[in-house]
Order: sequence, then C-alpha cells, then structure tokens
Amino acid sequence: MLILTPKALKLLIIEDEPALRESIKHYFTEEGSICEVCSDLKTAMQKIQLYEYDCILLDIGLPDGDGLKILQQLKEIGKEEGVIIISAKNSLDDKLNGLNLGADDYLVKPFHLAELKARIIAVHRRKSFNGSNIIQYDDLSINLHSMEVKAGDNVIFLTKKEYDMLMYFIANKGKVISKNAVAEHLWKDDIDLADSFDFIYTHIKNLRKKLQEHTGKDFIKSIYGIGYKFI
Amino acid sequence: MIITICVLILAGFIYYFAISYISNNQLDSDLTEELGEVVTYVNTRHQLPKPVEFDEDQASFVSIGQHIVPTKFVDTPFFEPESKKTERGRAVVSTIKLNGINYKVTIAESKKSTEYLVQIIGIITAVLTIMLLAGLFITNRFVLSGLWKPFYQLLHQLQTFTVINQDPQEVKSLDIDEFKELHGAIDAMSQRARNDYQSLRAFTENASHEMMTPIAVITSKLDNLIQDESLKADQYEQLQDIYNASNKLSRLNQSLLLLVKIDNNLIKDTTTINIKDVVEEKLKQFQEIIKNKGLEAEYSLSDKIIEANPYLIDILLNNLISNAIRHNTNHGRLQIQLNSTRLTIVNTGISEQLDGERIFERFQKGSQSEGLGLGLTIARNICEKFHFHLNYRFENPFHQFIVDFK
Repeated sequence: MLILTPKALKLLIIEDEPALRESIKHYFTEEGSICEVCSDLKTAMQKIQLYEYDCILLDIGLPDGDGLKILQQLKEIGKEEGVIIISAKNSLDDKLNGLNLGADDYLVKPFHLAELKARIIAVHRRKSFNGSNIIQYDDLSINLHSMEVKAGDNVIFLTKKEYDMLMYFIANKGKVISKNAVAEHLWKDDIDLADSFDFIYTHIKNLRKKLQEHTGKDFIKSIYGIGYKFI
Repeated sequence: MIITICVLILAGFIYYFAISYISNNQLDSDLTEELGEVVTYVNTRHQLPKPVEFDEDQASFVSIGQHIVPTKFVDTPFFEPESKKTERGRAVVSTIKLNGINYKVTIAESKKSTEYLVQIIGIITAVLTIMLLAGLFITNRFVLSGLWKPFYQLLHQLQTFTVINQDPQEVKSLDIDEFKELHGAIDAMSQRARNDYQSLRAFTENASHEMMTPIAVITSKLDNLIQDESLKADQYEQLQDIYNASNKLSRLNQSLLLLVKIDNNLIKDTTTINIKDVVEEKLKQFQEIIKNKGLEAEYSLSDKIIEANPYLIDILLNNLISNAIRHNTNHGRLQIQLNSTRLTIVNTGISEQLDGERIFERFQKGSQSEGLGLGLTIARNICEKFHFHLNYRFENPFHQFIVDFK
C-alpha cells in the first residue's frame, strides 16, 4: 500500500513557555498543519477528552502538575494518539520512564524544529499506517522496512547516514534547514567533533549526486550561509 | 570485666599471704609463751621439764656446753605421735642455762590447724570470687544487654544510613534519657541530610529545565527566522553564529549540571559493565570521523568488568576518546589498550607536552579546540567516584591518558 507523505497534521502542543509554544505552532502552521495549544495540565486533560489529534507534544514540566499524567489519561480513555515528550531532563532514567509510561518518543530541549518535525512524522507513520511501509515522494519510492530507495525500478544505494538524511529532508520538505540541525540529527551529541561541518558537505554532496543520477532532479537546494532546503 | 578478674586474683593472693603471715605470728607468740613457761620452770625447779608435761608441744633439750644459740623461730617437720604422720610445724629455738650448762631448747608446734584455717579461708574466698564473676557475667549478658539494645539499634541505624532511604526506623524501649536524646539527635541529623539532598536534587532538575527552556526558545525562533529566503547571505551567516553560540551554551549547561550531580553523588545506580563493550561501541560511533581524519588506529582490548553507573562510564569514555580524536593531527595515530589493570588512550598531536595538572582544571582547553574545556574535568571526577586514577603522560610524540583501575 502506498502512502503519500501527509501534508496536514492535527497537533496538540502542550507547553507552558509561551515563546516556545508559539514557535512550534508557527513552524507547523506554515505548511498547512493545524495546531492547538495549551499551557497547563488541566486544559490539556480537557482537550484530549474532547478532540482527536494526529500527534501530541507534551512538555512534562507543567506549572500545575506532572505532564506524565496525560499519558495515563490517554490510556484510560483508550486513545491512541502518538505522544512525543519534550523535556529539559536528559537522564536515561527520565527517558525510559517516559517511554515506559506510553510515550512514543522523547526529545530533549533544546531541539531543532526540523528534528521535532521528523520525529512527529515518524511517530505518525508508525501509528497510523500499521503494516504499510512504502512512501512515495515524487519519483522516489522508499520502503521503510527494508530501507530501500528506488527511482522507478532502479535501486539507489544509499549509506545509512544518507538514508537518514533523506528521510529527514523529506519530513521537512519545503523548509530551510540549518547545517546545525542536520549535523545534530546525524551525530547527536558528537557534533562538536564534526569540525566546521565538513562532514555534512560530503554527505549532502553524495546524496545529491545519487539522487540526481537516478532521477535527473536536484532535490537539495543550498541556502548560502545557513543550510539547505529539500524540494 | 578483665580488670575485675585481675583485681580479684591480686586480692586473693594478698589475702592468702596476709592470713599466712598473721597465723604464723600467732603461732610464734604461742611458742614464745611456751618458752617463757619453760624458762620459768627451769629457773624455779632447777631441772629440765619432762617432755610429756607439755601436750601439743614437743620440747627437746640438747646440751651444748658453753655455746649460746640465739633465739629464733624456724619451720620444722613435726612428728605427730598419734597419727604417726609427719606434718609441718613451727619451732622456737633458744638457750637456757641450768647449773652452769647451756641447753639448746627447741619447742615445736604443729601448723596443721592453722594451715587448715588458711585453706578454708582460701576456698571461701575463691568461691565468693567465682560467684561474683558469674553474677557479673550473667548481669552483663542478660540484664544489661537489654539495657544496651536500643544503643546497638541506634548504632546500626547510623551505620546503614543513606540519604536516599526514606523510612524512619523504629527504635524500641527508649526508657533511658541519654538514649532518647541520642535518638532524637540522630533523627534530626538524618532528616537534615535527607532534606539537603532532596533540595539539591530538585535544584539540579529545575536548573536543567530553567536553563534549557530559554535556549530552546532561541533555537526555535532561529528555525523559524531562516525560513525567510529573502534574507541575505551575511544575515544568514549571523544567524549561523547565533546558532553556534546557543549550541555551545546548551552544552555548557549540560556539562556543568553533570559536574554538580557527580560532585554531590546524585548519580547512583550501578550495574555490571564490561568496559571493552563500551569502548567498542564508541569506536563504532566515531568510526566515520576517525576515517575522515585519516587516523591510523590500533586497538588492543581485553575484557574488564566493573560495577559502575553506565551513563557516567559512557561519558568518561566519550570524553577521553573524542579528545584523542579531536586533538589528533590529520593522518595521526590513535591507540587504545585495555586490560584488567588499566585503560590507556594514546594519540599524536601537538609536539609539546601538556601541563599534566592544568589540563584537568575547568575550562582549560587547547587553542584549536571547539570544546568547552570541561571534558577532562568531568572525566577525572567520574574516575575519582569509582576510585580510579586518571593521569596524563607524554612520551614524544604520544600524548597518553591512563585510567588506573586499582
């Protein structure tokens, strides 16, 4: 079964820091997604009772209670929305705890919005399209299970990092993505080793070349001084 | 207890000797009296008394011509005619004059009865001593141990105290005021320690949240700002610089918080870890960068199992290995050796020796480095926590960092 990359998602953003909340809302609303927001536990509980969402972003450090209670509540009322916890707490224990309580992913602040988007799409895919595992993007078809990328019938051989980057770009298509964001996605905490982003240039160059060879199109646009955009 | 026994034994000896001395004296004065009677008899009757006239005492007279024997008291064997046994006796020896001739007179008495007396006294004393000791022992064991029980319970409480343990422990039968006070003081101290620990813990968690949220705001605002493609290249470059700075700030905060947690023992859980596995994982993680830098890598790893916190060990190895890569020259060399006594990480780099003490201080870093200067500080603190020693050595052209496990 084929899936097209979803254009419009309905999100619930539970975050008490107003500037961050607005940033996230702005980033997603720009490309057509619908975002509802709230800033405390009480309102959040009400919203999840009343509405359906594609994905919920949950800040667990809420002013009127522990955000983890939302996970419990969702289980109790039998809702299946994907939940991504956003938290400043970085310990392994906190992560495991959140995931054990039912969260689908755990993202540590500060994060790039591109990273957040990539994670939301990954969670949404896992939850909504059980069993289906092929994505079609333009001329490319990507098998999520086997991680095979084809242009028409021809297989494009990508390294693991190139595949990761391709998925990341597709999730954030149409958005300008900074080099920092890409580096952080590929190397997480080791990015300070990646001196002057040389590595990224190499990987991007290789990916671009392979895609161009097989489809004749240049999917990656360089935005000079800051990063890239996937079109 | 030991002192009591020693004193009693000493007293016993003194007692015995005193009684012996007194009974001897008693005998001697009896003998003196007898002697006096003999002398009086001889002087009034002008003849020697017949032996049979003095019962219990045996008197003998020996002519010694003109000699004089001074009066003295001696111990002598005493033949008891009725039981035909030879007993111990005491005698007085003296000289009496009769009709111009000196006679040595010996009057002897049996010591048997006084010896018997001394023995009885000795036995009674010994029995009393034993009873006293037994009494002391029983009292200490059963009666007083009940008394000391709350003390031992409090002692145990102190020994097993940890800041994490939440339950207040019960101590029974605190009738004694001193123990009650001690219990109160221990409780108050424990409570204070726990509270301090909890506030520190809460502080580091809140600090994390409070410090990271503004940085998250900066990053997310930048992410939105760069979507405006009408921005010029130099404006974009400035935004890039802001990204870099806030990224550094974020990592700095994480590192400082980590240091606080390590220094205050807030990271506690331990499991069994094979360091070899962690090293191999790190090498896999850094594989690409090692290749990119053209480093010539040599690894010699054997198993090393320890009980430690996995998160901290990961950070330790991460810092040491990433340093060895970061500060390496292009096409330089990287060597890692692991055995049961130590882990050695060696890299080529600048040709001068580093200051072996300064490099571990906070915010010390190489001039080319994009790092924070906290990597080695954190590495050393983690080592100290597990009683390892982290040291630096320079053997031209190699910089060596060695973790000693002993």
